[in-house]
Amino acid sequence: MIKFINVDKIYPNGFQALKNINLEINDGEFVAIIGLSGAGKSTLLRAINKMHPISKGEVYVNGQEVSKLEGESLRMMRRNIGMIFQSFNLVKRSSVFKNVLAGRVAYHSTFKTLLGLFPLRDKKIALEALDKMGILEKAYVRADQLSGGQQQRVALARALAQEPNIILADEPVASLDPVTTLSVMDDFARINKDYKITIVANMHHVDLALKYAHRIVGIKNGEIIFDGPVSAVTESKLIEIYGRKLTSDDILGE
Amino acid sequence: MAKMYTLSNGKVVTEPGNKSIIYLVIVLAITSFFMLFIPIDWKAINFRNAGFILGQLFTPTSGQTYRDYFAFIVSTPVLNALLETIRLSFGGTLIGALASVPLAVLSARNIVKKPWIYQTARAIMNFIRTIPMFVIAVVAIFFLGYGILPGIAAIAIFTFGIMTKMVYETIETIDMGPVEALDACGANKVKAVGYAVFPQVLPIYLGYFIYCFEINVRSSVILGFIGAGGIGIILYNNVGYRYDRVGGVILLLFVVVVFIQSITRYVRGKLQ
Amino acid sequence: MKKIPLLHRKKYIITHEEATVERQLKEQPKLWIYNLILAAVIIFLIVYSFTDSQINLSRFANVWPSFKVMINGFANPNTEFLFGLFDADGSIDKTTIPYLTMQTIAIAFVGTIVASIFALPIAFITAKNVAGKHLSKVGEFILVVIRTFPEIILALILIRVFGIGALTGMLTIGLHSIGMLGKLFAEAIENMDRGPIEALDAVGANLWQKIRYAIIPQVLPDFLSMGLYRFDINVRAATILGVVSAGGLGTPLIFASNEWNWPTLSSILIAIILMVVVVDLVSSKLRAKLV
Repeated sequence: MIKFINVDKIYPNGFQALKNINLEINDGEFVAIIGLSGAGKSTLLRAINKMHPISKGEVYVNGQEVSKLEGESLRMMRRNIGMIFQSFNLVKRSSVFKNVLAGRVAYHSTFKTLLGLFPLRDKKIALEALDKMGILEKAYVRADQLSGGQQQRVALARALAQEPNIILADEPVASLDPVTTLSVMDDFARINKDYKITIVANMHHVDLALKYAHRIVGIKNGEIIFDGPVSAVTESKLIEIYGRKLTSDDILGE
Repeated sequence: MAKMYTLSNGKVVTEPGNKSIIYLVIVLAITSFFMLFIPIDWKAINFRNAGFILGQLFTPTSGQTYRDYFAFIVSTPVLNALLETIRLSFGGTLIGALASVPLAVLSARNIVKKPWIYQTARAIMNFIRTIPMFVIAVVAIFFLGYGILPGIAAIAIFTFGIMTKMVYETIETIDMGPVEALDACGANKVKAVGYAVFPQVLPIYLGYFIYCFEINVRSSVILGFIGAGGIGIILYNNVGYRYDRVGGVILLLFVVVVFIQSITRYVRGKLQ
Repeated sequence: MKKIPLLHRKKYIITHEEATVERQLKEQPKLWIYNLILAAVIIFLIVYSFTDSQINLSRFANVWPSFKVMINGFANPNTEFLFGLFDADGSIDKTTIPYLTMQTIAIAFVGTIVASIFALPIAFITAKNVAGKHLSKVGEFILVVIRTFPEIILALILIRVFGIGALTGMLTIGLHSIGMLGKLFAEAIENMDRGPIEALDAVGANLWQKIRYAIIPQVLPDFLSMGLYRFDINVRAATILGVVSAGGLGTPLIFASNEWNWPTLSSILIAIILMVVVVDLVSSKLRAKLV
């Protein structure tokens, strides 16, 4: 369960990225955050695992107040949260397997991980995560030899290997072609349904958000101006969130 | 070496062996092999000398003051030698850089269409480049006697080798559009090169010139050592005897190199 | 003749376009003045570089006869020296060319390895994205100092500590190469992709884990490539160090060249060139595979 209470984020130069955010996300939900670029989607998402610390208010994840965590406790909290990035953020020259295994580092001591000594169980978790994403046969291939969609699946496998209860996704399909986009979004939906993992995703394409998420959060200028189920989203609400009519840029189409 | 894992759903995965360990072992083996050629005479090792010499490098010798120490550095013979070093480095670099242009043009695949021309040019260039500058210097001394002339020759030839490769590689990456345009309006090959290729290559060429000049100033110290002129000769005369002078000259060199580096950084910034 | 008053002359009233063109033309002359000054400076430098009583054409008169002597020497190389390896009693003669060639390569190889080990931590404190602005300046300074200390002098000093021979050569190369390798390594670190580091942050990794799983896998191939490049250069440097008796082919080279003993000298030169060519080839092949 993720909870935001009166959260503000103000940058040193005075710019206020988040204004009075109040948000409650229950376990197992699939939430899509939509809004213009720069509206605060990224900041909101990264406040959840304290990649961007907040200035005021409280953020609770699974009962713990994230904003107060530091050092080891912060890392232990983060290992339960998977994160997917628009540019995949894989180590290009390493094998797929090594990339996924890296998701387990926070579960072991520095000494063991530095020597690359992961227990058998971890290696199996990594391989099974790859299998769940349907790319087990690519396990020992160099990451940069995979297509975009496959690389994002590796990233998903890395997140899954963490055995998380939440997965955050920052515009996960924005770099992919339309066909691959749909299949990766299908994977997100499947992960959400089969493994009961909460998914919070920043979505660039509105139609994708509406199609795959259960709940939509609309952000404009750092404020939440819409928070409700997909069925409650109307065109006028969308125009309100984006401040203009939607263009072909905001929709995947097909 | 390969391990097998059985997953909970029954699938079996074979992990390929860890290549990194193999590479590490190979490197260790090669290193040990090479160490056979490096005899170590433990008894001859004298660490006390190290401290002794290091102490002498940057302090005045007995009976002298720091003023004397620095006076030596700015004394006429030393400064003259330094100027000589810079002059011969610059002159040699210049000759080498200028001479490299024709051969570089001849090696560029996008300017010269006939393979045998650019392949021979490249072969000549590669050959010249394999000869270490030091060897060229020794041979040059044989031909031209001692002094700065062989130094200039050695630096020129060395620069020639490096510049030709860098220039032809640059020429091959330029935009051929302007060249084609000039060809179309009837300019002959030479003019096309002059007007279309040269302006594009010039900034990079100057950048490499400065880079070579920096390297050459440093290597000219060694040239002085073997008699090809420059400040090396002062070092040679004083090593083993007056380490304070050696240290002083090193400081001077340090200042000069840093100075040249900042100038080159400034000029490179302007070229961008 | 009627004098047309100034104001009525048509030319005095210029149009707007002419005004801007004129203004541009006025700015042009300044450019050619700069060019002139630059040309003057360059010409001065050139003339200054070459005016020296030592430079006169009569020196070149000696070239052709010397050339003939040299070619003669090449035609009759000292084969015993060139190919001999064993002494009369069967043990390896440490002054023959094959042995010394291997020794030169050994000095360069082991020296480069030693330098890589020490350059690594210094590179981390020099890279601006890892060490921050101020610490990286310290690292840069250390590297510049190491780089500008002339190798030959370092060798001469180390000879007083470790004696003459290959060990000194190896240590000289090892110490001196830290300067260049450290700089190259730091550049590799500065150029790396921050993405994987961010991902590992999100996974909960600590600093060492980030270094091990995000930084090192990215920069390792670059490091290896740079190490090979430096090894290539160091083979030539190792040859030079032999001049001051720090081992390798430089030692017989300087002796033979002092006497202008071309038969021997040519064998040594052939060996040096062959060695450099082989090392160049191997190093380029390996570096191509690392990309």
